[in-house]
Amino acid sequence: MSGVPAEEPRELLARALATHGDRLYAFALRMTRDPDLAADAVQEAFATALRKIDDFRGESDIMTWLHRIVYSKAVDLIRQRGKETPLPEDEEGGRGPDDERLERLPAWARPPDEILWGDQTRRALEAAVQQLTPLQRAVFTLREVDGASTEEVASILGLEPGTVRVHLHRARLRLRALLGEHFKGLPTP
Amino acid sequence: MKCDDLAQRLAEKHDGVLGESDCAAIEKHLEECPSCGDLHRDLEDLARLCRESARPQMPADVRRRIEELLHRR
Repeated sequence: MSGVPAEEPRELLARALATHGDRLYAFALRMTRDPDLAADAVQEAFATALRKIDDFRGESDIMTWLHRIVYSKAVDLIRQRGKETPLPEDEEGGRGPDDERLERLPAWARPPDEILWGDQTRRALEAAVQQLTPLQRAVFTLREVDGASTEEVASILGLEPGTVRVHLHRARLRLRALLGEHFKGLPTP
Repeated sequence: MKCDDLAQRLAEKHDGVLGESDCAAIEKHLEECPSCGDLHRDLEDLARLCRESARPQMPADVRRRIEELLHRR
């Protein structure tokens, strides 16, 4: 028996599109790095959601379910279209071989505040996010940019909360290192 | 607390899954260890950069195509 009989599926999805469409598109764009692929991922996700609405039993939030489908579509699309050289995903928990090195890197050589918080740094951050593995990128985007809770991210990506924290930790360390390289060439206060 | 544990514990602290004594141990370590203090400061600034980054909007034509899909019978 479907868990969403109270509202017609098309209305449920139309409401989700109106309320959360931008959030889903932004997530797809960060995952695919390509506006056309992001549009395809979101459109295909809604088509799949409409077709499989009976699978949505109301056990999770509709947005969690839609994010899960968008993530799956985005990863399929970037692999199908050769948009990304597959990076090895470190699925394991615990400390990875690179963690210690990244944690011991020196602090950022901080530029003046107008540069640190300016457009140039934001572009550098966007470029750095694209150097993460797809899973790290998904975890980081959902948790740090979208502000989803660890439990929501875990539900979207089918991971344990502890595993989400491990991937988030590694993503943060890699981004810190990449931004540190970016700041090296800039003036200091 | 060891330096190796800090970053992971910070994530747990942020999620509110640590008790008071663990949180106090983190704060104490950050005060005493310049290297971990630097790491913490950079990660806090990274989080702020992310929070303040603009979210791209779904293009109108994409939204219209999905609306049409949802209204098609």
